[in-house]
Amino acid sequence: MAGLGAGGSGHQDRNPDEACGVLAAVVDRPLDETELVERARRGDLRAWETIVRTHQGIAFRTAYVLAGNAADAEEAAQDGLVKAYGALGRFRRGAPLRPWLLRIVSNEARNRRRSAARRERLSLRAAAEARPGDAVPSPEAALLSREEHERLLAAVERLSEDHRDAIACRFFLDLSEDETAAALNVRRGTVKSRLSRALERLREELEAEL
Amino acid sequence: MTSLELRLLALGHELELPADPDLTAAVLEQLPPSGKRPFPWRRAGALAFALVAIAVATAFAVPQARTAILRFFHVGGATVVRVETLPPAVERNEAGGLGLPMSLQAAERAVGFHILLPPYKCCGPGRVYVLDDSMATVVVRSGGNHRALLSEFPSLGPPSLKKLVLGQTRVEPAHVNGREALWIEGGSHTLRYFDRELGLQERTVRVHGKVLIWLRGELTLRLEGNLTKDDALSLARSTR
Repeated sequence: MAGLGAGGSGHQDRNPDEACGVLAAVVDRPLDETELVERARRGDLRAWETIVRTHQGIAFRTAYVLAGNAADAEEAAQDGLVKAYGALGRFRRGAPLRPWLLRIVSNEARNRRRSAARRERLSLRAAAEARPGDAVPSPEAALLSREEHERLLAAVERLSEDHRDAIACRFFLDLSEDETAAALNVRRGTVKSRLSRALERLREELEAEL
Repeated sequence: MTSLELRLLALGHELELPADPDLTAAVLEQLPPSGKRPFPWRRAGALAFALVAIAVATAFAVPQARTAILRFFHVGGATVVRVETLPPAVERNEAGGLGLPMSLQAAERAVGFHILLPPYKCCGPGRVYVLDDSMATVVVRSGGNHRALLSEFPSLGPPSLKKLVLGQTRVEPAHVNGREALWIEGGSHTLRYFDRELGLQERTVRVHGKVLIWLRGELTLRLEGNLTKDDALSLARSTR
């Protein structure tokens, strides 16, 4: 999985030759998100482009775990980011942007969630695909670790949709509880209770298999 | 964090997820030219909105048509859509599902706009229902003493009124104080409310009354009840 919120390279993606909009102000320092939002509110598309680059990755991955397939997720993330631009006037100044964006994108994703049959099951990466910098485990350790991951993933897949979504957002995507609440369009307390029940269920399942 | 939570985090790093697409170009293509946002609000941030889409019952309306959506009509923030069948909906009695009841002053603070009302004999409405800090609804009485619901919400964009088709449910153009309006009569229809964050459907309710939708300033107004068209238009014209 790609790194969190690493859907784009953010500020360094700007064209330093541009002399208007956002770009004129970044000679000395990168604009922070609040400034970018303010500029986007005023119709500065470069500012919105920077925001899109920054958040599109997590927006797509959140949409993927909720919509259940890549095509719907891409469409949901795209439409959500377009709608969010149109809704900027209603974004509360000073509030964190990412949960707000995730809420809009996730809503698009849930609207596209089709039948369970069309949902792509989450799977593990190929065993040989080690990430750069990973220590190389022994073949036995790698096998045990993979089996454990597969068992855990299968148990997650057997959870109810609400519980699986909560686990996926909170742990697989490493969203905060507030971001998970925004993505699932529920209160933070509901996220806590769903996670608590889902973890309890997973523990029971895993212990029963031993 | 418990060991199970740490294992789930670690599992997240091992999942095979599709590569992140670059959506930048596709998103920017759909935006209006620089300097113009799609829904320009004069009072940015202060107004929330509720988009009300009304799906008119036309299961029997144009038998030869087989498309899922047959026709759109727009007035301000309202969209009327002809469909072949209605979505599942709950029945709504007069004031059900319209949000939280509060005083007129509290309602105006919540929605951020002056609530237009027809003349009252003595004091104003006892209560105003506010949905999502976006839409205000009051119970009003027509000249014929029929009760009706008057809902108001900010318009989304420039008004447009498209050519109409006839069906079992009549959707007729009308005018209120020189502004576009729609009169909807016959058959049941459903109301869908969306919250201010765009696109989140709050609920779908089934409505049997007649409906007038019109524009006033930056607001879209909607009158629903068992009124004649003349009664509805008269009431609409009297709102201030």
